[in-house]
Amino acid sequence: MLLVALLLLPLAAAVPALVAPRYHPSIAATSAAASGAAFLAALGLARANLRGGVPSIGPEEFLRADGLSAVLALVVSGVACVSLWFGAGYLERVRDHGGLDDARLRRFYVLTNLFVATMLLAVTANNVGVMWVAVEGTTIATAFLIGLEHSKAALEASWKYILIGSIGIALAFVGTVLGYFDFVQRVGEAPHALHWTVLARLSPGLNGDVLRLAFVFILVGYGTKAGLAPMHTWLPDAHSEAPAPISAMMSGSLLVVALYAVARWKVVVDAGVGPGYAGRMLILFGLASLVLAAVLLIRQSSYKRMLAYSSVEHIGLMCLGLGLGPLGTLAALLHMIGHAASKSLAFLASGNLLEAYGSPRIASVRGVLGVLPWTGALFLVAALALLGLPPFGLFVSEVMLVRAGFLAGRPWLMGAVLALLVAIFLSFLGHLHRMLFGIPPADVRPGERRPLGLLPLGFNVAVLLALGLVVPEPLLRLLRLAAGVLRP
Amino acid sequence: MSPALFSQLCALGSSLVLITGIAILWRHSLAVYIDYFARQSFVFVLVILGVAAYAGEAELYLVAAMVFLFKVMLIPRILRRVRRHVGVDIEVRPYVNVPASVALAGLLTLIAYAVTRPVVEISGLPTRAGIPLALAVVFVGLLIVVSRRSALAQIVGFLVLENGIALLAILATYGVPLIVELGAFLDVLLGFLVMQVFVYRIRETFDTIDVDRLSGLRH
Amino acid sequence: MMTALLVEALQALLTLALAPGLIGLVRFLKARLQGRRGAPLWQPYRDLRRMLRQEVVLSTDASWLFRAAPFVVFGSVLVVSLLVPLIAAPLPFDEVGDLVVVVYLLLLGTFVLSLAGLDPGSAFGGMGSSREMTIAALAEPTIALAIFGLGVRAGSTNLGRIVARTLASPAETLGPGHLLAFAALFIVMLAETGRLPVDNPATHLELTMIHEAMLLEYSGRYLALLEWASAMKFLIFQALLANLFVPWGVAVSLSPRALLVALGALVLKLAALGAGVALLETRLAKLRLFRVPELLSVSFLLALLAITASFVMR
Repeated sequence: MLLVALLLLPLAAAVPALVAPRYHPSIAATSAAASGAAFLAALGLARANLRGGVPSIGPEEFLRADGLSAVLALVVSGVACVSLWFGAGYLERVRDHGGLDDARLRRFYVLTNLFVATMLLAVTANNVGVMWVAVEGTTIATAFLIGLEHSKAALEASWKYILIGSIGIALAFVGTVLGYFDFVQRVGEAPHALHWTVLARLSPGLNGDVLRLAFVFILVGYGTKAGLAPMHTWLPDAHSEAPAPISAMMSGSLLVVALYAVARWKVVVDAGVGPGYAGRMLILFGLASLVLAAVLLIRQSSYKRMLAYSSVEHIGLMCLGLGLGPLGTLAALLHMIGHAASKSLAFLASGNLLEAYGSPRIASVRGVLGVLPWTGALFLVAALALLGLPPFGLFVSEVMLVRAGFLAGRPWLMGAVLALLVAIFLSFLGHLHRMLFGIPPADVRPGERRPLGLLPLGFNVAVLLALGLVVPEPLLRLLRLAAGVLRP
Repeated sequence: MSPALFSQLCALGSSLVLITGIAILWRHSLAVYIDYFARQSFVFVLVILGVAAYAGEAELYLVAAMVFLFKVMLIPRILRRVRRHVGVDIEVRPYVNVPASVALAGLLTLIAYAVTRPVVEISGLPTRAGIPLALAVVFVGLLIVVSRRSALAQIVGFLVLENGIALLAILATYGVPLIVELGAFLDVLLGFLVMQVFVYRIRETFDTIDVDRLSGLRH
Repeated sequence: MMTALLVEALQALLTLALAPGLIGLVRFLKARLQGRRGAPLWQPYRDLRRMLRQEVVLSTDASWLFRAAPFVVFGSVLVVSLLVPLIAAPLPFDEVGDLVVVVYLLLLGTFVLSLAGLDPGSAFGGMGSSREMTIAALAEPTIALAIFGLGVRAGSTNLGRIVARTLASPAETLGPGHLLAFAALFIVMLAETGRLPVDNPATHLELTMIHEAMLLEYSGRYLALLEWASAMKFLIFQALLANLFVPWGVAVSLSPRALLVALGALVLKLAALGAGVALLETRLAKLRLFRVPELLSVSFLLALLAITASFVMR
């Protein structure tokens, strides 16, 4: 029931956008409301898990929402709700400025709802094959969304995205097939052999070499969608060219959904070959992403690309966390929530910046705090949060991560991580300072375009403060449950 | 049919699938790329039918029909229409020249053999000889995407890669469960349709489908 | 032992005798396929007889190499005909008839001919030699690999033993290793014997000739020897292709009956392959020279795949 509602709500919201002959604000309102309702449904699933049950429906638990799924469903629906609520007004203003036409605006709502629905399916499907189909579905749904504003750069970004994304997903399918093959060979033809619960349970009987090979394909394949280096090349282009609400949703939720897929398989592989192997591979890719982000962030001239590289950095941190044992996993999950809140906040605020200043370049943006005081303040909050400063949630998760690293016996690695974080801190801060302060260009009209539109972003700030100051007890229990799912 | 003969025929079919894929690396004409892809899909259909007949899996007949309908008939037809509209005939100056591409394909095949050794060892099916070849097709598809400049050639490379994955699924486990198979098929089809729309748009916007020109966004 | 040596001699004689006929057959079929009447099958014999009686004209710049080359080429091909299993396998000289020896004897002929093309200092000769060397360099590894692929099964690179082994287990002929090796060797045969699409044996245009360019300065009996040697090389390659891959008919014992059957089988297989080559030449256009390495790299790959397939299927 809750599970079904979770998936059907966004799909239902796509229908008005599909059938309406012309755009009407109610289309946007239904989409935002549907995501909000989905968020409530996700809360219900979380509550059910905290009470001890695992909601599921279908033969052999076809759809299943354990603690981990609940956390991710909350992230996906939360980010979607905020983005769509903010996006409603924002996109209407873009249309008024001539950047979008009526048909494309309607297409946005159809595709975005499909996007949300496929992400939710990916995190609640027990069948790893269906999970794969859903993740591929997100690629197809977002391909046109990135290129929504028909510019040369957007077209280039979407081409790279769909090509690299599809190839990555295809490689993930190779991994899935190999895992299935291993299962069928060693355990025999079983109904629901692709169900994660079945795989995790019977994994110790599988052939280690084939599992290791499968995991490599899974990590490289889903890692492409998650933005792990060196498969991340599509990410800066796609996330910077997409309209602000889409960038927010992609950075905030899509990347972690792909990482979730890797995490599910990690459990299977850990049960089969012991926790060391998957952990090492995750650390390797996480570190590579961190290094790459640190090196390239400072050279960015566009603020949206800067945010995109920051996503690579944070996904790298999450990936590292997943490879560092139970405490690291908890840190990664906490980080997921914090990053979703801060990154979506940043991207949505940057939408306002783009509208006011008319340029994506950092050099063109000056004196934001004077021109758009509220947006500027929100952007500052987001940036400070992304830099890992207290009192925001990412500080807590990063400290937890470093502690986990020391506990796991990798002090040098943590030293490297800290050094890289400092490097990123410095370059980011430099850009930020130049953007927020200073004298704004003469042709920029000061004043918020639509202050009320910033209201949903308050939710993000609240989440960040809550995570940073005192994590609410039920949330902590839920996160512990989710981490427990990932424990070998 | 004896297992040994079936095994030989499967190996033969898989080799032909790989060779048609490599033939794409050899030629320069985009129309030929589409033709070779269609032929590769056709050989793939024959392999599926062979496995279906030998293993008695009724689902595979459906899979074979779908592969025939879409990958042999529909997708090549759409690709040909795109090519005619875009007006590009040959792939000039690929990033990796032909003898190097072909040599790389050989190397990738050897790597595929090395990588899939544990898989072949534990497999009890008579189709296992073709498993390394299927993975080699995946690598060759990847090579086509990476080494060719024309967006259309990259789409063909992606489709070859998908053929390889589907072949791997058939040979390793006589196909994955039907729902996953159908979902995967749908995804590939939709992905292809999206990509071909993009080729039209790229042609309109950039006046060429040479992806080297799509380099406005740099680091 | 005596019979064996007689059979060897018979093989050499057969090669000498049948080679021009095979070339004549291919030319005749090509002509008919192209809608012409064509010269009769025995025209090449007439050409040889004419050339042997003609006067030799030598360039003043030609050295002893130029005069010795036809003999070396002819001799090397004749020795090869003793070493390959044309009608019977195994034979006493087969111990020496290893793959490596055969390949390098043929290569010796190519090398000497290339030198002879350079010797008189004519432009066409040099051009032909350089082109020939390019093609030979690309084709040799493929021959080696393809026959290695076949030899993996037989456990030996001795051609006779490979043939015997294939006769013993006929089901293997359908295997991918076998067929891939056949494809690779077929392409190499076209390259080595100077047939389309690599080289046009009927042309004397600067743009298109390779083998003919090296022969351009020769006349009289030297030319006769070289043409004969070229025909014999073609026959040997065809016979190898036939006997390695479709070995039925090759005599395993040395009884007269088996030998007669083998002779008939050989003639049939040669005719079939010759017809195939004629058909192919009619259909294909000559490849531009810089595309030839592409074709040969494909054949190299096929040979590589053949070896891998053979190893894995062992």
